[in-house]
Amino acid sequence: MNVMDYFLHHPGEILGATLEHVELVAVAMLIAVAVGVPLGILVARRPWLSKPIVGSANVAETIPSLALLGFLLTVPWLGDRAGRLAVAALALYALLPIIRNTAAGIAGVDPAVREAARGMGMTERQILFQVELPLSLSTVLAGIRVATVLTIGIATIAAAVGAGGLGEYIFRGLAMVNNSLILAGAIPAAILALGADFLLSILERRLRPAR
Amino acid sequence: MEARHWRILGALALLASSLAGCAIRSADTIVIGSKNFPEQALLGDILAQHLEAHTHLRVERRFYLAGSYICHQALLAGRIDAYVEYTGTALTAILHDPIESDPSAVFARVQAEYKRRFGLDVMPSLGFDNTFAIVIRGEDARRLNLKTLSEAAKYAPQWRAGFGYEFMERPDGYAGLARAYGLQFAAQPRILDLGLLYRALLDKQMDVVAGNSTDGLLAARDMVILEDDKHYFPPYEAVPIVRDDTLARHPEARAAIAELAGKISDAEMQKMNYAVAGEGRDASDVAREFLHAKGLD
Amino acid sequence: MTAEPAAHPIIEFRNASYQLPDGATLLDSVSMTIARGETLVLLGRSGAGKTTALKLINRLLEPTSGEILVEGRATTAWNSIELRRHIGYVIQEAGLFPHYTVVQNVSLIPRLERWPEERIRPRIEELLLLVGLDSGNFSQRYPHELSGGQRQRVGLARALAADPPILLMDEPFGALDPLTRADVRREFSALQQRLKKTIVLVTHDTSEALLLGSRIALTESGRLKGIYSPREFLHSSQPIASAYTAQLHALEEFERGQ
Repeated sequence: MNVMDYFLHHPGEILGATLEHVELVAVAMLIAVAVGVPLGILVARRPWLSKPIVGSANVAETIPSLALLGFLLTVPWLGDRAGRLAVAALALYALLPIIRNTAAGIAGVDPAVREAARGMGMTERQILFQVELPLSLSTVLAGIRVATVLTIGIATIAAAVGAGGLGEYIFRGLAMVNNSLILAGAIPAAILALGADFLLSILERRLRPAR
Repeated sequence: MEARHWRILGALALLASSLAGCAIRSADTIVIGSKNFPEQALLGDILAQHLEAHTHLRVERRFYLAGSYICHQALLAGRIDAYVEYTGTALTAILHDPIESDPSAVFARVQAEYKRRFGLDVMPSLGFDNTFAIVIRGEDARRLNLKTLSEAAKYAPQWRAGFGYEFMERPDGYAGLARAYGLQFAAQPRILDLGLLYRALLDKQMDVVAGNSTDGLLAARDMVILEDDKHYFPPYEAVPIVRDDTLARHPEARAAIAELAGKISDAEMQKMNYAVAGEGRDASDVAREFLHAKGLD
Repeated sequence: MTAEPAAHPIIEFRNASYQLPDGATLLDSVSMTIARGETLVLLGRSGAGKTTALKLINRLLEPTSGEILVEGRATTAWNSIELRRHIGYVIQEAGLFPHYTVVQNVSLIPRLERWPEERIRPRIEELLLLVGLDSGNFSQRYPHELSGGQRQRVGLARALAADPPILLMDEPFGALDPLTRADVRREFSALQQRLKKTIVLVTHDTSEALLLGSRIALTESGRLKGIYSPREFLHSSQPIASAYTAQLHALEEFERGQ
C-alpha cells in the first residue's frame, strides 16, 4: 500500500509514534532550556567563562549524533534505558544554540539601559528578570527554535538505539524494504520540524521588542 | 510577564499531549513487536492472530525492530507489550550472564531474572530451538562421513568459513565455538550478509557456514547441520516475553499465549521460513495457514 | 578655593581617589563638600574625572582610597540598593527601557518600592506635567516613538519619581541638538527652584555650568582645580577657568575678526 493508505489504516499507531517523538523532544528541550539559559546568562555576566562553557557545548555538538548515542549507551544508569540516553544526548545537542543565543541576547542589551537600571537601584535579579531577559527574549527564543528543530531531527536517529519515535518507522521500513513505512516515519517527522520552526518563529517575531 | 506565561503554557501542552499519547494506546490494545527477520515476523503474527481470534483485544503490530536491544528497550518502556525472544540470546545479550547449555537451567534463570529485574514474564517455549547451526554441504557430509562438530574439527584447516556479523561478535558465537572444538581455519572466517551465506556454501565459495537451525533453505536444499556434540551452543528456545502489567490487565492474553506453547517444531518453523524467505509468500498468510492447520484458529 | 559650603553637607568627598586595575588614575585625592539643596556642577574635559566622581556618589564605582559620604555615611557602609534608591540618576542616553511605555518607565522605582496603585498614578501625572509631557498621548508611547528631547524628559521624570533628595545628572542634555538643548535647559532651570533637591550635574558646556550651577567644581586630569560661584568663575584668572570662559566670548571674537 502507498503511504497515504498506510496513514489511513494506522492513524493511531502513527499518532502514537509522533507523540513518542514529541515527548523525547519536549523532555530534552525542557532540560536544555533549564540548563542552557542560566549558563548563557552566566557566560554573559562573566565573559571569561565563554571558553569553557561554550567550548564544551561545542564539543558535544561536534560529536556525530549516532556516535554520541552509542557512547552514552555505555554509561551506567543512562544506558540502561533507551529513553534516558536519548533524552541525554538530545539535551546535550540542544545546549549549544541555547547557550550561545542567550549569552548574545543578554550581552546585546544596550549598556545605557543596564547602567540606568543599576543606577536607579535595581538589584541584579531585578535587572535580569525585568530588563535583560525581556529584552533578549527574541534572541533567546531564536536559539530555542534552532535547538528544537535540531532535536526533532536527531530524535529520529534515537530510534536506532531503541528510543522509539518516528525514526523507528524509518528503520523498520528500511529493514523491510518498505517505502510506505519509511515515509510514514519521515513525513510526520518533517512536518513536526517544519511546524515547530514556523510556530516558534511567529512567537519570536511577536516577542521582538520595538526598536 | 506575558512571555513567561507562553512558555509555561507551551511546556504544559507538550507534557499533556505526551501523557495523552500513552492513553491513546487505549486500554484494549496490545502491541506485539518483533525483530527484523522473517521468522520473527512469522512468530509475531502467529501471536497476534491468535490473540485477535481468541480475545476481544485489538492487536497492533510493530515488527522489524532492529534487534534484541531495541525490542528489549521497547518492552521496558511499554511501547510494545510482547515479543518472541530466544532464551540463549536473553541470557547472554540482555542479562550478560555467561554461557550455559542446559536448556531448563537457562529457561529457569531467564524467567527468574526477567521477572526480578525487569518485571517481564517469560512464557513457555513455543516448541523449537533456533540455535546456531554449523552447516556443510550434504555431499561433503556423506563423503567424509561427518555427523558432529567434533568429527568435523579436523577438516577445519582445509575449509573456508563464512559467518554472519552477529555470530562473529556475540560472546556465544564464533570465539567460544572455536575454543570449544579447537577449530583452526586456514584463514580468518569471512563475514557475509546472512542472506548470502547459504548461497556461498552451495556455490562452493565457502565450505562451512553458520546459519540458524530453523533457516528455511535447510528444508529445501542438500545441506547438513553438524551436531553440537559438546553442547557448546546455549539453547535458543523461542519464548514469548510479555510485560507483567499487560498480563495483569488482560489475563485472557496469558491464556491465549500459553495455548501456543510447544506447538511449533523445528521442522515446521523451517518450512514456514522457507515459504516466506524462499517462496516470497506473505508472512501473515503463512501464519494464518499454520494456525488453521493446527486447529488453533 | 572660595565659596565655603554649609556645615552639614549632604555629600562629602574625603580624599577620594579612583584608580583602574591597570594603574590609570581617574580621580586623584578629591575633597569637597556639597550642601543640601545646592546644584553643584562638575565641569571638565572628557576624561577629566567628572563622571567618575559622579559614579562614586551612587556607588556605581567604589573609591580605591579615601571615601565618599552621603548623608554622613560612607557609601561603602550603605546598602547599595538603598543608596541608589535615595538618589535619582539621569544619564546622557536616558537609558529608558525600550520595552516599557513612558508610564511604565517613569513608575519603575515606585513599583519596585511597592507603592500602592492609588499613589503611583497621580504621581506619574504630576511628574509628566512637571517635565512638560502632560498631554494625553505620551503616556502609552514607547521610547522609540519619542524624540531625543522627549526621551530626556522621561528620563528626568523617572529619576524624580520616588522623590529622592539627591539628583545625579551625567551630561543630561549632551545628546540633544543645540536648540532643543537650550529649551530643555531653560525649563530645567525653572524647575530647579520648585524641586528643592541637591543636584550634582556633570557637563563640559560652560554656559550650562553658569546657567544651572550654584557652584562650579572645575576638574582636570582627575584633580579638582577649584570650586567657584558662577560669578567668580566668570571673572577668574585661573588658566583653565579662563580657557572655558574664553569660549563664551568666541562669538564676539569671530565678529571682531570680520
